[in-house]
Amino acid sequence: MENEKINVLLVDDDQDLCALLQEFLEGDGFSVDAIHNGDEAVKTLLNTDKYDTVVLDIMMPGMSGLDVLKSVRAEKQTPILMLTGRGDDIDRIVGLELGADDYLPKPCNPRELGARIRAIIRRTQYLKATPTTSPSELHGIHLDLGARQATVNGKSIALTGAEFNALSYLMERVGQTISKQEMTQEVLKRPLEAYDRAMDVHVSRIRQKLAAAGVKNVIQSVRGVGYQMLTVPQQSE
Amino acid sequence: MVSNIKWSGIKENLGFKRLFWRIFVAFWVASLVVMAATGYVLVNEYTANNYNNRFLDDATNQAERIVWRYEHEALTNGRSKSEIKEWVKRRNGRENQLIPMLISTPDNDVVYHYRMNKVPEEHRITREIYGPSNIRYIAQFRQPQTPRIYKQVLSRFQSVQFIFIFLASAMVSALLSWSIVKPIKYLGAFSRKYANDQTATPVPSQLLTRGDELSDLAADINFMVSKTADAIGAQQRLLHDVSHELRAPLARLQASAAIIEQHQPENKHVLQIHNDCHRMDQLIQQILNFSTLENTPQNTEQCDVIALCERVLDDMAINYPGIPTTLTFDQTHRDNATINGFPEALHQALDNIVGNACKYSNKGQPVTVEVTSSANSVVIVVKDNGIGVDNAEIEKLMQPFYRAGNQMHTEGFGLGLTIALKAVEKHDGTLTMQSPENGGLRVEITLPKDSTTQL
Repeated sequence: MENEKINVLLVDDDQDLCALLQEFLEGDGFSVDAIHNGDEAVKTLLNTDKYDTVVLDIMMPGMSGLDVLKSVRAEKQTPILMLTGRGDDIDRIVGLELGADDYLPKPCNPRELGARIRAIIRRTQYLKATPTTSPSELHGIHLDLGARQATVNGKSIALTGAEFNALSYLMERVGQTISKQEMTQEVLKRPLEAYDRAMDVHVSRIRQKLAAAGVKNVIQSVRGVGYQMLTVPQQSE
Repeated sequence: MVSNIKWSGIKENLGFKRLFWRIFVAFWVASLVVMAATGYVLVNEYTANNYNNRFLDDATNQAERIVWRYEHEALTNGRSKSEIKEWVKRRNGRENQLIPMLISTPDNDVVYHYRMNKVPEEHRITREIYGPSNIRYIAQFRQPQTPRIYKQVLSRFQSVQFIFIFLASAMVSALLSWSIVKPIKYLGAFSRKYANDQTATPVPSQLLTRGDELSDLAADINFMVSKTADAIGAQQRLLHDVSHELRAPLARLQASAAIIEQHQPENKHVLQIHNDCHRMDQLIQQILNFSTLENTPQNTEQCDVIALCERVLDDMAINYPGIPTTLTFDQTHRDNATINGFPEALHQALDNIVGNACKYSNKGQPVTVEVTSSANSVVIVVKDNGIGVDNAEIEKLMQPFYRAGNQMHTEGFGLGLTIALKAVEKHDGTLTMQSPENGGLRVEITLPKDSTTQL
């Protein structure tokens, strides 16, 4: 059974906090390791695939959480949850843009942290369990659900896990308006919270990446409701 | 644009007041007194003796002319004596040029008489005058009285030269006064401006290079400005560090509470700890928001007010699920509701105000947000149907940590409205609150589309 525990890596310079979180998360059924500086975290993460998810604090002396995120993302797709100062919108958005899978304001209730880690794991397992269905294709966007590879008109584009899921979710429901609540619940596997812009940032990144590859105005924001994958691209002005 | 604002702000303050006029008047009066004294000394040289001699010369002269005329006209042509007086008057043009005198022949026949009746004998001077026919006449004049010295001085001053000197000294006085008061005024305006906006440019170098006491003052003010900037920076860092440092133990406290909770799920004190941790975290966040808003200059961006309101109402729907919210705006011109400002600050302000409206509303009572835009401004009106506020308390609500008497039972710190007001002021906007008769609270925010506070 030991093998089936979820392996979590905590990266935070506050050693006491790490010890406490470790105790809590282990009590909650996780297997937890802690690292207290950025350099070591990058080395560890690049050398092993042991960890199912990483909890990464942004504010660290020396190599910051964002630097760690950048270095790791360059090579690995390990799901990463960022711990940010509450209300530091800039940190939050930059983190998501660099490919963090979710964020949690700090200080947080550790129960919430456990729930978020489970959400990330559910998402990745759901993806792994998804059978290799017929590839989804729309507006020249081609999603290979098995290989989790997105191509636009034959050119491959790099999407993070959350972005790939969001795009695939919208493409499966083309023409429907999907609420932010539903998107957050189904794509990030957790409930939408107040001041929660994770989905907005993910969708905005998808739009940018698609636009860079030549596909524009296919995802529409429905003000106050959510998002919609259009059947016909909107005419730009 | 930057310098325009700076100068117009300072020009307004150049209306001179007490000090300017004091220096001006003092210097001017002093210069006039010096001139008057100089005039006095000069006039005094012209002694009473001189004056007497001249008077007698003038009087004798006039008397001789009268006698000549008398002999020529009255004796030869048979004209009456009164006609002579008329002639003398005509000849001299002005009455005041007639010197009082009495001219008579040796046998006491009065030839000419002008204003000598009231002059007593002892004040009379007698001169002998010889007419063209060598007849001797007796002329009596009033003994000359040296005019008062001020009259003499005044008579000197009634000249073009003096008016010129008068104006020149006024100009010099004004210039001197201006050269002293203007830098003081400027420094005053600068200090006032600096109090409101620490990003203001330093004191201009021409003030620093004057080389007098005022340039020392300017240098001292510059020194103070740099010290203040340091202090503000230190305060900012301190606030940031303290709040960061406060959060670390808070996070550990929360983790410890969660571990206790794992072992004793029934422990109700753990819930209390969690709630208090949450409250402290919010307080730290609000203090951070408040200080950031007050001190950090940010760059303006285009803010879509309606999109911001939608974002805020989306969050409210999650935070206050029992409160229905509506947003109304002009659908056809929705792009008009865009201002040049600070989206984060504005979001915070709206969040606090709409959050208050939701917090103090009774369950099921709607909160409405209405956005209207005109050519120059965007107006946001937030209305709730809650308990409202006593109108006398509205002013105090804006003060940090103040909470209305009827609100102590709800969660909060009393910073929300202060932050909202700061954010609105940062946009040169206005925030007004009123509690209508039928209950509830109406908050109106007016934001100019082109804010001018930013330098």
